[in-house]
Amino acid sequence: MDLRVIEQQDTELTIEIAGEDHTFMNVLKGALLELDDVAAATYDQNPEQSGGQTEPVLTLKTEGAKPLDCLEQGATLVDEQMNEFRTAFENAR
Amino acid sequence: MATDFDVEFIEDTEREARFLVRGITPAFANGIRRAILADVPTLSIDTVRFVENSSVLFDEVLALRMGLVPLTTPEGEFDEDDTVTLAIDVEGPATAYSGDLVSPDPQVEPADENIPLIELKDGQRLEAEAEAKLGRGRDHAKFQGGVAVGYRHLQHVEVGDDASEYGEDEAQIVRGVIEDGDELVATSEFGHDLTNRYPGKEVTVEDVPNAFVFHVESDGSMPVDELVLRAVDTLSTRADELREKVSL
Repeated sequence: MDLRVIEQQDTELTIEIAGEDHTFMNVLKGALLELDDVAAATYDQNPEQSGGQTEPVLTLKTEGAKPLDCLEQGATLVDEQMNEFRTAFENAR
Repeated sequence: MATDFDVEFIEDTEREARFLVRGITPAFANGIRRAILADVPTLSIDTVRFVENSSVLFDEVLALRMGLVPLTTPEGEFDEDDTVTLAIDVEGPATAYSGDLVSPDPQVEPADENIPLIELKDGQRLEAEAEAKLGRGRDHAKFQGGVAVGYRHLQHVEVGDDASEYGEDEAQIVRGVIEDGDELVATSEFGHDLTNRYPGKEVTVEDVPNAFVFHVESDGSMPVDELVLRAVDTLSTRADELREKVSL
């Protein structure tokens, strides 16, 4: 996973997350949208054969918070949810 | 926001499982599905050195067939670059099966022993050394630990009035798992037809929001529960990595 900030403003962030695909990006996007500070979150990924930008690009707008902080919170939330799922799954067996 | 997951097993064997998860978002469910298919590393034969191949198939074709044989993959025992060398030596007339692959490591065995590799006629012989390596489904389908992995909404069934006596006598097909009160019933129990379970009744079927029934089948590389948990691990590892890199 290699991060490259494409554009950064006070409440907006465009960042490339190289090496990831829909599997992680969509989960991350879903988690970001659950955060109260996030106004908008989306990602764009072009197919491998299309040439040009094929690594996923995440775009994030916040309600005033620092976008990088929100991204960190989003990643934490994904991790928490995964751990909760693991616990629930193990308990069910 | 704090999601409380509720997992309930409907079917649970080593190779196949059906379980209901409540409180899960579609994004999360799909992430798990995709991770099971593409991101759980499994061992598969990748390079084959042929000592003798006088069968009717080319070396490449046989190597592909060997590659597709699922091998049991113990957790945490292997790193990305580790290899296991399996040997095969079969002389015709006989059929070479996956079970003829001899492994030096008892933890790494063909998951099924009865997959035919090639039928050898009189005088034909297959002798080879096959190197298995760790890989992911995103690189080649032979590394997929899960087969037929999917999920459906849980369906809630509400029984209404009696059906009109002269109404059309049509089957009402539902596939997956229904929720009837508190009871979970796999639709295969009543032939997937609601008119079998509720004869002469009006029934309405609705998707239950954020409740998904997963169906996961393993190719034998590892038990289903391990497969699911390893998939969850790959996702949380990536979330960790992202958090670390962002906080720098």
